[in-house]
Amino acid sequence: MPEVIQSKPKEKKNIKIVKDATCTFCGCVCDDMELTVDLDEHRITKAKNACVLGRAWFYEHVLEDRPVVLIDGKEATLEEGMDTAAQILVDAKFPITYGLSDCTCEAQRVAVDIMDTINGNVDTTTSVCHGPSGMAFQGVGESTATLGEIRNRADLVIYWGGNPAESHPRHFTRYAVTPKGMYIPNGKKDRTVVLVDVRKTSSTPVADIFVQVKPGKDFEVLWALRALVKGKRISKDIEEQTGVSREMLDDLVYRMKNCQYGVLFLGMGLTMTRGRHFNSGAVYSLAADLNEFTHFVAKPVRGHGNVTGADNVVSWQTGYPFGVNFNRGYPRFNPGEFTTSDVLARGETDAAMIIASDPASNFSRRAIEHLAKIPVITMDTKETHTTKISKVRFAVATYGINTGGTVYRMDDVPISLRPAFDSPFPTDQEVLEGIRQRVKRLLTGSKARTAF
Amino acid sequence: MTTTFLRLHTQPDVPLEAEAISPVAIAGLSELGIEHLPVLHGNIKAKIGDFFKVTGKGVPDILLEGDLGKIKMIGAGMSAGSITIEGNVGMHVGIGMSGGEILVKGNASDWVGPEMSGGRIVVKGNAGHMIGSAFRGQAIGITGGEIFIHGDAKNEIGNSMRRGLIAIGGDAGDFTAVNMRAGTVIVMGKMGVRAGAGMIRGTVVCFEDAPMLPSFEFSCKYQPLFLRLYLIRLQENGFENKITDQHLNGKYRRYSGDGIELNRGEILLFSR
Repeated sequence: MPEVIQSKPKEKKNIKIVKDATCTFCGCVCDDMELTVDLDEHRITKAKNACVLGRAWFYEHVLEDRPVVLIDGKEATLEEGMDTAAQILVDAKFPITYGLSDCTCEAQRVAVDIMDTINGNVDTTTSVCHGPSGMAFQGVGESTATLGEIRNRADLVIYWGGNPAESHPRHFTRYAVTPKGMYIPNGKKDRTVVLVDVRKTSSTPVADIFVQVKPGKDFEVLWALRALVKGKRISKDIEEQTGVSREMLDDLVYRMKNCQYGVLFLGMGLTMTRGRHFNSGAVYSLAADLNEFTHFVAKPVRGHGNVTGADNVVSWQTGYPFGVNFNRGYPRFNPGEFTTSDVLARGETDAAMIIASDPASNFSRRAIEHLAKIPVITMDTKETHTTKISKVRFAVATYGINTGGTVYRMDDVPISLRPAFDSPFPTDQEVLEGIRQRVKRLLTGSKARTAF
Repeated sequence: MTTTFLRLHTQPDVPLEAEAISPVAIAGLSELGIEHLPVLHGNIKAKIGDFFKVTGKGVPDILLEGDLGKIKMIGAGMSAGSITIEGNVGMHVGIGMSGGEILVKGNASDWVGPEMSGGRIVVKGNAGHMIGSAFRGQAIGITGGEIFIHGDAKNEIGNSMRRGLIAIGGDAGDFTAVNMRAGTVIVMGKMGVRAGAGMIRGTVVCFEDAPMLPSFEFSCKYQPLFLRLYLIRLQENGFENKITDQHLNGKYRRYSGDGIELNRGEILLFSR
């Protein structure tokens, strides 16, 4: 007779439910997650309301067994790591900090303070993302709104140079396309959605109107729209130049002028292609021009979870959003001169502190070569190309899952985090505060850095 | 001695901000006095003498030797005198200058003559981005003076310029004379895309064909008299190989723009 296998009764697991948790994967920062946490296995087993990216973010988070601090590849204590890091920063003549977009605002403000103390250079991943929008914002201003306002009011939604279906999956359903709002009672039926891109993407089916622009011709189309909105003439060969017909442009202008509340969402298809800050500037200017006829706003669709927080923190502490230099003891802003990819490519820095970012995998070859030559301090939750070349490497806890704090959604709304479970690793903030304390101690009295 | 001679003996590891290398700062100083002038080496205060060997008293004509690619702000705020650089130079050369002349025999980096109001900068080699432009966040760029680049230059030449003359002997990048208020930019090579975007007044001249923004409109083909005067002056100042009789006597296609703004600007393209 075959042996009867009796199933054992399931052991009751140590389960915790975290309601209204926040997903910090992308700039949407959805704060309606309901997480089921297995406290025995230290992992999240269910993330209700999360999108495909959010589920990957929560489910694939496990506590890795690795040393908290490595100095030159050898295991060390947290104190030794912070001592060495502080000494590297104080000894450097042109120290830089970069990254910051995947940690809390509380950690970001300490990082900026360290650079302020040692007269260093502060830059964030904004400089290779929506930095041009930051520059355009300074140049031409911004007509802005929160995503809540857009959800409740916008009846014309234009996405330009982005693919939110894949990069920000809940942007459509939570904020701008399908949700019903106070003045948009029927959701998508009451909205016109326009998508402008150089090719069809998985976002295209959402759009009522798809405008296909020849690659690298966004600025020309935006400029033609601005001219038409102002009632000015445009050249006859516009379709030949840009791939967009005059009829299509006239129709768009009519819709933009006659909507109740319009919004232009700009993606990195504008900020990281030829023209960069002028492309963003053209979008902001178009939105500003349209306010003569109706209410129109423009918002960049930001990538990383807290990159908007990085802009806010660096702005409130220095007056500028990214690419800020403290060499003279006061902040100076000059993208191109003080942005990390340029500073590294020209070989100008002699120490770097990289927080929650991996420039060694995506910067130019010259920049990476220089990064490999100088002492690098890294703080990251995972092993990356940058942590491998670093002199001092801190393994830190993951924000939003293991640590609390504040992050900013892409529309500059601050949101508090509700962590799921504890981590054996320190937070970025704790490490940075330790380094700050040591840096300040090393630079007391006559050694304090003063203004030039 | 009629010049103050500075020879680079130690290459800075990180950028050196040396606005003290300017006729204004060294005027009347002894060799020792000049060597003790402050410069900023990264975030560390240093002296000119840490990097340069100084010969000659502080006369307002300075000769610099060495690769100065990492040295920024040479000739800051100068109002008279001259600086000759026998090599490359770093960013912000001639920042805020109002008079005098800077000659760079090698290449220059980005931001040549930002916010200058007078004087002349000549670069024999190539130059970077933002030649004669406004700093980020400023509404107005250069308000006078001349910048002559004999080689190529990159994007945003004369960004928001208000007055003055910029001549590029080689090719120019994109967004030449973007947001120009007034003034003249002459490009003798090819010009990138989107020239004159947002220009209010002013003149952009290019010897080659260039793509026009949709908000620019063809006006006419003519022989601008003023341009002949400009080109003759440039011929006399080292551009004789680039400017031929055809350019002096030929016709130019005039495009007016930017239609989005005042439409008082013009782009003149040489027509063979």
